[in-house]
Amino acid sequence: MTLPAKAFQRWLQGVAPEASTADVCRISGIKRTTLAQQLVRGKVSVTTVVSISRAYGINPVAALAEFDAYRQLADRQPGPTRCELVSQISTADLLHAMLARQAMDPDGTSGAEPPALSPAPHPTSVKNWVDAIDDGEVRHRVSAATGIAPQNYSAQLTANRLTAELAVATARAAGVGLASGLVATGLVTEDEAGWAPGARRAALDSLSDGDLAVLAGDRLQALGKVLRRQEQDQAQTEKIWENLG
Amino acid sequence: MIEILQWSTLAICGLIAAARVPSALRGENRSLFYIFALMTAAILLSIEAPYVAIDKALGGINLANLLLRFIIFGAIYFVGIRVTRGFGADHAYRLITGRTGMTVLLVISLAMVCMFFLMDTSGSSAGLARVAAKDSWNAALVEYYGAAGRAYPSYVSLVLLPAMVRAVGSRLPVLVRVAAGLLAVGGVAIALTLLFPVVPPEWGALEFIVNYTAVLCFALGLALIWAARVRNKKGALVRRTSTET
Repeated sequence: MTLPAKAFQRWLQGVAPEASTADVCRISGIKRTTLAQQLVRGKVSVTTVVSISRAYGINPVAALAEFDAYRQLADRQPGPTRCELVSQISTADLLHAMLARQAMDPDGTSGAEPPALSPAPHPTSVKNWVDAIDDGEVRHRVSAATGIAPQNYSAQLTANRLTAELAVATARAAGVGLASGLVATGLVTEDEAGWAPGARRAALDSLSDGDLAVLAGDRLQALGKVLRRQEQDQAQTEKIWENLG
Repeated sequence: MIEILQWSTLAICGLIAAARVPSALRGENRSLFYIFALMTAAILLSIEAPYVAIDKALGGINLANLLLRFIIFGAIYFVGIRVTRGFGADHAYRLITGRTGMTVLLVISLAMVCMFFLMDTSGSSAGLARVAAKDSWNAALVEYYGAAGRAYPSYVSLVLLPAMVRAVGSRLPVLVRVAAGLLAVGGVAIALTLLFPVVPPEWGALEFIVNYTAVLCFALGLALIWAARVRNKKGALVRRTSTET
């Protein structure tokens, strides 16, 4: 989850040998107190490394690979699979794409090109990514490999969060490119992870009308469940306030 | 020590009741004001000095003690109704207002009144300590009378307990969950009062602590839900104005 401060200092020496901590903070936009606290605690967050490497024009994935825990990121990675690419397209974009398909619009009346895809990550990108690469046993393998309790793991997915460590462990357990999870969690961009520009659009266009319709339906169903649960919680809260507020 | 606990509990309940006067005048959830007013009255009557003063005015036969018991019954009844309604605990609501609840209330009340008039109750004394000291007959009656007085609040709080425990683990707002936790602790404390007859006399202070813990937990729990609502209203207001500008 975090990187040892010693290793971080060593890395920073290599990246910006002349710069003071204040300079590093100014250039990378990190609050000085935040970095100071992380150094005092001996735990530097991965987002700090990502911010600093971006500021100095280094690929963040390559920067992370300098640390022991992420060493394997430096190995040659397979490119993202079609499922992964599609999982990183937001539900709204999927629906737009569906509306523009022949099956939905036989006369081609709308004629308008669907808007450009919004960049990853989207509000359910983490869960969608894990679902896309899950062969049914991935969650088990991740919890066996990292020791995280399955319920904590799924709680993170539901909250659309995943620590960098778990994201890499999940990718490893599923046998996909190790940086993909970092894209899904929004730590690095598609470009930084080595995804080709337009790869998501190409993956989307390669889906048949039927596959896209089913996928969009699944996403809508999941969204509906979440919204319904929120509405129920809200109704219950209102009731409590009505009676006890 | 016990005196401090008593007077500070009285002050807290009195303050909350006073704070609810404006909303009660506006007609918002009057019963909550009544609950706090009844609780304040009950605490007042459980402290020696005010008890003796009030009982002297009522004829000096400890009628104030009987009054205190019914004030407690009234307060806990309204708490039960409001809380079960608010938290949507329909089964618990029926157990309090339905035939079972009414039978329990009636039987306990009748038993309590009978025992009260069987005692020689002359001589004002909080907790009927001096009545119990008269002879073994009166001492036994005071014991059973006290047990009957604790039985109904225990019944209601045990009925409330499952719903409160469920609410603590729910996805409701944090303040509401903390409040439910306080109500649950108060409920457990009230239920523990049933065990008072087996508490050795040298641990008398324990009884006071359990009693006032129960009252404080209920008062603070209910006040917290109110606070949560006020906070939410303010939050909604800020959100609305910020989107307008």
